[in-house]
Amino acid sequence: MPPAPAAARAMPHFRYLGHGIGLRPEHYQAVLAEADAPVDWFEIISDNFLVPGGNPRRVLRGVRERTPVVMHGVSLSLGSVDPLNEDYLRGLRDLAAEIEPAMVSDHLCWGSLGGQYAHDLLPLPYTEEALRHVAERVLRVQDRLQRRILVENVSSYVAFRQSAMTEWEFLAALCARADCGVLLDVNNIFVSAHNHGFDPAAFIAGIPVDRVGQIHLAGHSTAGALLLDTHDHPVCDGVWDLYRMAVRRFGQVSTLIEWDDHIPPLERVVAESRRAAAAEAAALAPATAEQHASG
Amino acid sequence: MPPADGRAGGAAGPALAALQGQFFGLITAPEGVAAGLAAAGLRDADLDRVIASDQRASAVERLDIYANMYFYRIRDTLRDYFPATAAALGEAGFHNLITDYLLAHPSRHPSLREVGRHLPGFAARHALAAGGRPWLGELAALEWARLDVFDRADEPALDRARLQALAPEEFASLPLRAIRAHELVPSVHAVDDLWSAVNGGADAESSLAPPAERETPAAFVVWRRETTVYHRLADAAEAEAIAWLQGGLGFGALCERLGQERSPELAAQRASAWLGQWLADGLLLSVGAE
Repeated sequence: MPPAPAAARAMPHFRYLGHGIGLRPEHYQAVLAEADAPVDWFEIISDNFLVPGGNPRRVLRGVRERTPVVMHGVSLSLGSVDPLNEDYLRGLRDLAAEIEPAMVSDHLCWGSLGGQYAHDLLPLPYTEEALRHVAERVLRVQDRLQRRILVENVSSYVAFRQSAMTEWEFLAALCARADCGVLLDVNNIFVSAHNHGFDPAAFIAGIPVDRVGQIHLAGHSTAGALLLDTHDHPVCDGVWDLYRMAVRRFGQVSTLIEWDDHIPPLERVVAESRRAAAAEAAALAPATAEQHASG
Repeated sequence: MPPADGRAGGAAGPALAALQGQFFGLITAPEGVAAGLAAAGLRDADLDRVIASDQRASAVERLDIYANMYFYRIRDTLRDYFPATAAALGEAGFHNLITDYLLAHPSRHPSLREVGRHLPGFAARHALAAGGRPWLGELAALEWARLDVFDRADEPALDRARLQALAPEEFASLPLRAIRAHELVPSVHAVDDLWSAVNGGADAESSLAPPAERETPAAFVVWRRETTVYHRLADAAEAEAIAWLQGGLGFGALCERLGQERSPELAAQRASAWLGQWLADGLLLSVGAE
């Protein structure tokens, strides 16, 4: 069981779970074969479990008996001008009722239009119109699910000239209007900062401390002069540096290693998760010492 | 270069609905963003007024990242779902099939899992099928059925011992019902040979023999037991009988239906043989589980 938060500053609505990894089909056998769960918690991609039966649900039940699980979706399309997909919402609600996840999250993006799905996390303009629209939809989702959700910042390759605020200003305003939390993807901050030329430290400094319920870490790849959010590499040094910065600001926050392509053996992903735990401890050590000194 | 604080400048721009319409249209344009712009009567400069660019990447190049992701993510997913179909067509053939497929059947379900549902029917009508591959849709249908039954509801299978414990009159009226995790796929070509070759490791289009036409039409029975998906060939009569089981049918009624075209003794023999096979397969739903 992970220790209680040292700083107790993370979002009080979201329990600190420790360090987790994504539950991926490549690791199903290895995860179930271990007597004890190899990590503190697992994340599932909700969309992959909205089926009535079969192996995914069987594995999920087995994992949930031993470990906290969080649901992470990719298809709410919170920013789309399409109506919310009520069937999808019902599926999420039913899955959540069955597995009682510690958290439910999706992305600050849109991915569908006119009933068609791009199966991608498309960027929004950071305008007052978009903010009103997304906030209203987050409120409706939270009402349907009867729980507060976390909204994740995405990696982006396009910025709109009409944006009147930064992405972090938009996220902060969204939290205030919709009373939702933030899933802070540190790799996405790193990728977008590179692609658009902003300071990643400003992003972290601009997110309200009491709204961050979960952190994502992942690897990315290079495409010409830009970075792509591919989740197919280990976490790079620059992202580890940003993670330590985030921990110093937000305190202990449940942290996930995402590895979705060229997936290595379970032990390698678990090792990356343990590295995150060590990085968190190292980042908090001076603050703890300072607190003790001042106390 | 956008301002270093990440704020793009608050320039006048299209309303959210119009912006998303333009964006979506360009990233799903079959020939890419530049061609999509031209088809809409727009120039690069028009896009530059909406999307920030710098010396590293133009607005078109940045949007092309999303266009490529849109197509390749779906194509790669479909290649995972239809490995034998992809191997039989080769890289270029499968790429072209999926390009045409997405124009006719863009994804309309939030789950990527559903994106291939219409591919078997589409492949059967595609020019690639008409051009010497009449088996194409059938092969894709077998692959889709195998994928589809994998995620269907878990149900207990009827157990032989449970059946043997029944009194004769109970047995005759017992409603036999197929589990939901099964599918029947009509087959007029031996596409299972090609499927086996690819799943046995063959992956070169040139090394795969085209499936021969069967002497008599048959059907694949595809089903899941625990976490394994199986398929086998059934003759037309057995396939018809399995279809009857979807609504539930007593063993006595099965014999009666079969007896309309053959002697009662032959009908009973046939039904008994099928019943033994269905029990061994795990194709029948346990009594009381419906």
